[in-house]
Amino acid sequence: MACRGKQWLWIALAVVLLAAGASQCVFLLRHPYFRKYAAQNGISLREAREVWGKPDRDAEQILGLIVEAGEENWQKVADLATRKDLHNEVGTYYYNLANAMLGRLPDRLMDYYQPFERGLFLPVGPSSTPFKIACAGDVWFQLGYMPLAERDAMLGLLFSPEHNGSRYLRRLAEANLVTGEYEAAAKYLRMLLNGSQEDRQWARSRFPENWSPQYQLRIAEKRNLMPQFDLVHGMDQTPIILRILLSANQTNRLALDYLLCYDLLTKDIDAFVGDFDPGLTRSQLYEEAMLIFLAAKGGMSAENLAHYHISEACFQRFNRFVTIYKRDGGSGRNLTAEFGKSYWYYYYYAVKNETK
Amino acid sequence: MKRNKLLLLAMLAGLPLSCGRPYDVRPAGPGTDRDSFIFPDYTDVTLPINIAPLNFYYTDPEGKEFTTHFLANGKTLSFKGREVVWKEKVWREWLAVAAGGDITVESAWSSGGTHQFHRWTLHLSHDRIDPYLTYRLIEPGFEVWDDLEIVERHLESFDTRVISDYRHTENKCMNCHIHSQGRGDLSMFYLRGEGGGAILNRGGELRKLTLKNDTMISPTVYGEIHPGGRFGVFSTNIIVPAMHSEGGRRMEVFDTASDLCVADFDGKRLLTFPETSREDVFETFPVFSADGEFVYYCAAPAHPLPADLYQTMYSLVRVPFDTATGTLGGPADTVWSATRRAASVCHPKTSPDGRWLLFTVAGYGTFPINHSECDLCLMDLSDGSILDMRAVNAEKSDTYHSWSSDGTWFVFASKRGDGLYGKPYFSHVAPDGTVTKPFLLPQKNPHYYDTMLRSFNVPDLGNAPVGFDAATIGKVWKEMPAESFE
Repeated sequence: MACRGKQWLWIALAVVLLAAGASQCVFLLRHPYFRKYAAQNGISLREAREVWGKPDRDAEQILGLIVEAGEENWQKVADLATRKDLHNEVGTYYYNLANAMLGRLPDRLMDYYQPFERGLFLPVGPSSTPFKIACAGDVWFQLGYMPLAERDAMLGLLFSPEHNGSRYLRRLAEANLVTGEYEAAAKYLRMLLNGSQEDRQWARSRFPENWSPQYQLRIAEKRNLMPQFDLVHGMDQTPIILRILLSANQTNRLALDYLLCYDLLTKDIDAFVGDFDPGLTRSQLYEEAMLIFLAAKGGMSAENLAHYHISEACFQRFNRFVTIYKRDGGSGRNLTAEFGKSYWYYYYYAVKNETK
Repeated sequence: MKRNKLLLLAMLAGLPLSCGRPYDVRPAGPGTDRDSFIFPDYTDVTLPINIAPLNFYYTDPEGKEFTTHFLANGKTLSFKGREVVWKEKVWREWLAVAAGGDITVESAWSSGGTHQFHRWTLHLSHDRIDPYLTYRLIEPGFEVWDDLEIVERHLESFDTRVISDYRHTENKCMNCHIHSQGRGDLSMFYLRGEGGGAILNRGGELRKLTLKNDTMISPTVYGEIHPGGRFGVFSTNIIVPAMHSEGGRRMEVFDTASDLCVADFDGKRLLTFPETSREDVFETFPVFSADGEFVYYCAAPAHPLPADLYQTMYSLVRVPFDTATGTLGGPADTVWSATRRAASVCHPKTSPDGRWLLFTVAGYGTFPINHSECDLCLMDLSDGSILDMRAVNAEKSDTYHSWSSDGTWFVFASKRGDGLYGKPYFSHVAPDGTVTKPFLLPQKNPHYYDTMLRSFNVPDLGNAPVGFDAATIGKVWKEMPAESFE
């Protein structure tokens, strides 16, 4: 009798363990990015669930954007972002970055939710959330602006649960390798060398004597983007920083697109016109923005339209937009379907929601 | 049999602990943050006889068969292995054996088939160092912070005590703790934000003060308590954080306005004076002379900032201080001229014996912690001469210094090595002005600094423990009303 009771006990225990294991497997299968993000922040899955709670589908998508962006899988980031427009600053921030890296930021900018400039640069300050701060440096690193890439990685580290997330240590090591601060890089590489096997392998390949030709090229490309002179600027003077980058390297297409899109998302048409050189870049977005400026300044001459590469089709569409706009007394109800993804529509109807 | 099995299981369970992966010491060598063959680099340093054991490790990644021999007064003590870790009792016995003389150290190991050998020295000074050091542990934060702590370390052992922290103050910002002339019974620091104030410790009695009135441009920022304990001298600053566009220069901070004021802690008054509240002059970093008869501070002609940042250079000046009324006199005497030297002074600190004035010199501005050119400068106040500090200064920022209560040792935060994280280094000053190669605050684990991602901010020496702890400060923050000043 006692023996049978023991048997049932073992069976019950096995069932409980199997159920727990199966539940864990299902969780991992449904939330692969949550697990990766937790590992990058230096904590276990259990700790992550304690600290951050159980992720829902939207959170898993956002974490996917962060993880894939960290590995610079830009097409994957773009694919993930299009699964669902999350109407979320972080989601837009990574979708914009992916589109920029794929060379199509202005062409896609109006296709999805844009929380004004906060979809290009996540604000960093005492009122920012740690989660956003931890993401904010990714765009600066790609732009080649290491002071802010380093700052935001340090802040990411500051807010990671154990203050030692490898995601941030890697960025700090690499930012310092780019700037040539090998002594600082050594500190972070040594920490990674004493981390997981993946981190150790990553760190070993970043020792300058171990750089592959591809990695040498990557560092050289990043260095080529760096400012060549020193200028002291405020923490939030984003357009100035982008102009510093462009003055260092006119071929920094990423910085140019970010600057022009920043001007447009903040509806600063005058700044856009000052920053826009039609000889350097072209996009329908820029044509649409120039038409607003030219119409306002009475500059709709054939010469100007040609200078700014404004197509006849775009010009005609603008005329149609203006006609409907005037006819409806400024109402956008008959413009949404046809012009909802134009810059004109954004310019006249997008309203900043400070609480979002 | 069953007992044997249990024993075997226990041994196997303990196996991973004893067979852990050794610490990877790479990268090391020239061009890295570990350029000496040992870390911390204790070769040829001068030590106070009451310091905690100097544990260190060898940095050669390829090295093996490390042996270390300590020799003093005909006796030898040997260590084997990469890490040299002393038992505290043995270390103290050895300091007694050396009896204030030198300890010779012989380091030997094999590396890549060659034999390596170094002979070096630990110099012992009879001058004891104040046994307590307070510092704020902070990650480089750029206007945001998390998990701040102010810690008091016992320098004769590895014991630490948290005297204020985020746990008891709902993660409030707190600024560094400073002693008056190294006195554990006279010190202060700030708790910022709601429920905060200047926390004044006089003989263990704590007060929370709101050091701001309508005539001041900001609450008090930098300053010091008068040796008499009744007054404090402070700067008020409009502080603007900014960034350099060049990668390695990082964050810059400047003041667009700054003045001085005196706080009368007994009369609950804040006093301002025409000489030190001029709109055309930036005044900051005030401290008292050892006898309390003067106030030294930094002053620069006001400039539009950040446009003229590189031209903004602070001189070191002093004005008389009336110890009866708390009045600052004038006009200011120039002690060190920025115009003449084309450089900028920060953080003056007079030694409590009145002999020395230690300050920081940087290329420009008022925030030297990210300035690699920033060095410590020592003035002999008996004749105004500037002493040779090449033994002390490194190629990275050296600043935020303080004196021991007898003026024979000073500590400072240096970013030597990685250039990012400030660490406390100690130097000795002999009566003839000879300064010694600094040594890094020893830690029980020689790899401690390898994984440390926080700066030791404003290390400050104290001759006795401060009479409070983090729980007490938590209560002060939560329950004690702040006293307002006129």
